Amino acid sequence: MAKKVGVTINGKTVKVPEGTNLIDAASQAGVEIPNLCYIKGMRGIGACRLCLVEIEGGRGPVTACTTKVKDGMVVNTDTEQLREMRQFVIDLILSMHPLDCMTCTKAGVCTLQRYAYESEIKESSFSRKKFGYPPDESNPFIKRDPEYCILCARCVRVCKEQGTNVLDFMGRGVGAKVVTANDKPLHESGCTFCGSCIDACPVNAILEADRWRKGREWDYERTHSVCLLCGGACDTVISTKDNLIMKINAGGEDGSVQRYICAIGRFGYDAVASDKRVLSPLRRVNGELKETTWEEALQLLSERLTKGKASILLTGALMNEDISTLLKVAEDVIKTDRIATTVSLYADEESMKDSDTADIDSADLILLVGLNPSQWKRVHPSLDASIRRRLSRGARLVSISSEAVDIGEVADITLRGEEPGLIKQIAKSMISKGMKANKELSELTGDTDTTEETERVADLIKEAERIVIFTSPALFRSVRNLSLIKKMDIIAVPNEANARGVVLSGIKPDGKLLKEMIEGSTEVLYVFGEPPVERRPDTGFLVVQSPYMSNLAREADLVLPSTTPYESSGSIVSFTGRVKRLSRALRPYGEAKQHREILASLAKVMGKVIKEGKTDIKKALKGRSKPSPSPFEKKEGLEIDEARFMEETNSCVINSSRLLWLREAEKAVGV
Amino acid sequence: MERVLLKNIENPNSAEIDEYLKAGGYRNVSKAFDMRPEDIIEEVKKSGLRGRGGAGFPTGMKWGFAIADPKFPKYLICNADEGEPGTFKDRPILERNPHLLIEGMIISAYALKAEYGYIYLRAEYPKAKEILDRAIRQAYERNYLGENILGRDVRFHLTVHQGAGAYICGEETALIDSLEGKRGQPRNKPPFPVNVGAWRMPTIVNNVETLANIPYIVEIGGEAYSKIGNPECPGPKLYCVSGHVNRPGVYELPMGTTLREIIYTHAGGIRNDKELKAVIPGGVSTPVLPASMIDCRMDFVSMPKAGSMLGSAAVIVMDETVCMVKVMHRIMKFFEHESCGKCTPCREGTGWLRRILESIEKGNGRPGDIELLRDISEDMMGKTFCPLGDGAAGALRGMLKHFEYEFEEHIAGRSRCKGG
Repeated sequence: MAKKVGVTINGKTVKVPEGTNLIDAASQAGVEIPNLCYIKGMRGIGACRLCLVEIEGGRGPVTACTTKVKDGMVVNTDTEQLREMRQFVIDLILSMHPLDCMTCTKAGVCTLQRYAYESEIKESSFSRKKFGYPPDESNPFIKRDPEYCILCARCVRVCKEQGTNVLDFMGRGVGAKVVTANDKPLHESGCTFCGSCIDACPVNAILEADRWRKGREWDYERTHSVCLLCGGACDTVISTKDNLIMKINAGGEDGSVQRYICAIGRFGYDAVASDKRVLSPLRRVNGELKETTWEEALQLLSERLTKGKASILLTGALMNEDISTLLKVAEDVIKTDRIATTVSLYADEESMKDSDTADIDSADLILLVGLNPSQWKRVHPSLDASIRRRLSRGARLVSISSEAVDIGEVADITLRGEEPGLIKQIAKSMISKGMKANKELSELTGDTDTTEETERVADLIKEAERIVIFTSPALFRSVRNLSLIKKMDIIAVPNEANARGVVLSGIKPDGKLLKEMIEGSTEVLYVFGEPPVERRPDTGFLVVQSPYMSNLAREADLVLPSTTPYESSGSIVSFTGRVKRLSRALRPYGEAKQHREILASLAKVMGKVIKEGKTDIKKALKGRSKPSPSPFEKKEGLEIDEARFMEETNSCVINSSRLLWLREAEKAVGV
Repeated sequence: MERVLLKNIENPNSAEIDEYLKAGGYRNVSKAFDMRPEDIIEEVKKSGLRGRGGAGFPTGMKWGFAIADPKFPKYLICNADEGEPGTFKDRPILERNPHLLIEGMIISAYALKAEYGYIYLRAEYPKAKEILDRAIRQAYERNYLGENILGRDVRFHLTVHQGAGAYICGEETALIDSLEGKRGQPRNKPPFPVNVGAWRMPTIVNNVETLANIPYIVEIGGEAYSKIGNPECPGPKLYCVSGHVNRPGVYELPMGTTLREIIYTHAGGIRNDKELKAVIPGGVSTPVLPASMIDCRMDFVSMPKAGSMLGSAAVIVMDETVCMVKVMHRIMKFFEHESCGKCTPCREGTGWLRRILESIEKGNGRPGDIELLRDISEDMMGKTFCPLGDGAAGALRGMLKHFEYEFEEHIAGRSRCKGG
């Protein structure tokens, strides 16, 4: 940990870690230093000149974003001269900015508007100038309007830092403009429509394309939630009005490299109010699905479950509270132990149970084993973005994979080859560099040679203080050997948001059982969520409990409408081992209910009272078993096409939202 | 004074390596290689040489910082982005005496333990590009550049990199960004390029004229060099004189020559027997001086005392027919055009100043405009990201200090200015 130093800001003394800049230090003292170009977590660039402060004994005002604290520093942020200076800067910016706050979509959350108001400016003292650059409205996601741009460079820097790198400036001086390469429309520029630029823009220059006239910011209710559409489980903030989602923004902590969501997480919410939703229970009558009541539906289900042996299939996107209710109902009411999960398609029990908790933000060395995250292919997109951001903040990356890895372009070392062998060589290199291993592990690595490259990796490991390894679950056991030599956090990365929660709740990912349910025959098959199963398996009675009319639901005998995550509350365990909570942002649409409510009602119909929603997940998370030396092998049967899996498990969301446009556009430019 | 920097340039083939060798060129390379690198730096420190790009930072000190940084590789960059309006002092070196620059760079690189060098050349000097490329090729052929230079364990590779027309790329950190292939914008300092420069490695950026002085310092020693011109900032200096003089051109004179001597003795006095009105002494970012002040010495120490700066020693001479409002408007137009756009006060401030000046110039000035000009330049001064904004504000403040009455007359509409 960095040494703490004392700094006095506007008379208040605070202790902050050495190296902290004055904006962050002031915020710890409860003082906000106005700024338009500073991005927390990134190096200050001193461009907007709003954050000028005075340091006692200093020569003149300095920019707080680029000045680091020194012990005993005395800083003033609110002197007469500084106020005048800030007013001057705001005044100048206003001279290039429309003054249509009355009708501007950004009103209420516009940083410039707030500063102009605070600095007592009514309108610019200078004459207005206009460039007449046309807005880019060529896509349904992001609208860019250069007329509002104040050239703060936040969008450009965010886009570059996360490695998407499609925005930059063209021209210079007052005529500068944020553009893509050759000023092409976004969808021809390699843009992934993650919308990080939207979150970064302090004014109305970059905004959701459909945002205009969807209500004022102050009319919105904001709910912190988590996106459950892939293994990333990114934090989100959902803005709602009149029980409709108006927009979703990234919700990660300010300054964290994990403050990112992809296009699916940001724009996929269209599906909630689409005609793909199942809004009431449906039962098959004469070959057709017909609306029915909850009472009838549960009665029917209860009869079927009493008559035949039930098999239960759930996805890894279910919340912990739903899972615990499901387990209880399965044991006490339905009386079945045949519970399979889609988690078994890509992970085993051990990798999900024994993965560590890790903090990417503090990692100084990241190893990526057998993973190929990509924002563009939407495979672990947030992991790709977070790692790239972490690298631009000084961490190092080693990529180890048998296939070519996109993020390898920014890695310090890329090792290409069979992963278990390479891990073994790294282990041996670590031992040969004097890092201690027990006898058993030393013996396990005894028969291998090291290479110059694995020696270099071992050097990096030796130097590093906070090591995080992200591995594919199939390689978890092999990789875990390394943590017997040096302390490091090892995370097996799953493909669904709550895969770790599913396993920690006590469901064993049993691939054989899952295969039996999908390919073999069952008496009653009760499916939760949208597993990537396209055709009806051979079963006597198929129940699908899902928010959407998936292909599988279309072939069911009974469809029970569950809520989307936006209409649900509960918790999940993210891939980094954090318990994340979702709050309900919308009242359920139609007659949809949360899984656990449906299960409790079912139990009641079947004559049992079940208390819903209790979970011991936190305790389970602590019960990781200690690593022990294991052979360097790759676990078989856990290979999936990750991009396809993502697409299939989210097909309802993608097909009934504007993401469909994106898929077509990407096809057209050949992504 | 014996000419050092412009030696031999009357020779029509002065850019050819054989001619350069005939005149004694490149012999200081072997002399330098017989010295230890730290001794060369010591000589440069002793010489008192100060950077000729405009800021006048002591060269030996800059080198000392770079050599103290343990990181390698180190890069040596020659700043040949001569973009300050009125400045053309480096051009005769680049076009007529390129081997002197190359020789200076080889010695400097040896002293600084840099193995790669770049000449960042402004795009508007296409002829210099050709000449430098040819000269570098010749130097490679004769083994003054490349591996094992002159059979010694020294290597130095040199490349010319052309800019793309931005004035700001003459600022050393913006120059480095541009060299790296980025959009040229100044970087935050510290860290300074001597520690974190090109590709994040220690980088020494020196002006053409600075580097061209190095062979001579090696030749005569720092001590002897320090006795040329003003002892506080010694050495030969190139003054480039333009405007209403009889003989505009580049003059090599001892540092500290007075403006009067430069204008009247060397540049042949004012054209057409007109009266001298004002001089911009060091390029348009230096404050103007009225005719009454031309007895000041043109060096880094004396000029600030006179309220201006030596800058690039681009002496722009204006006679009595010149309208100072028009001049100021033109200068501000330049700064507005060249502001990179990174920081607000410079980007918006220069634009706003230009518009006020334009309206005064067109006869639409309003009472209070002068005060507004003062306020804005005051607000810009010292608060912009890099010195470009300071230069713009400083030039205007200098103009108002000495010629406010002309602005007043314009606004009052009492008289059209004499310049018409």
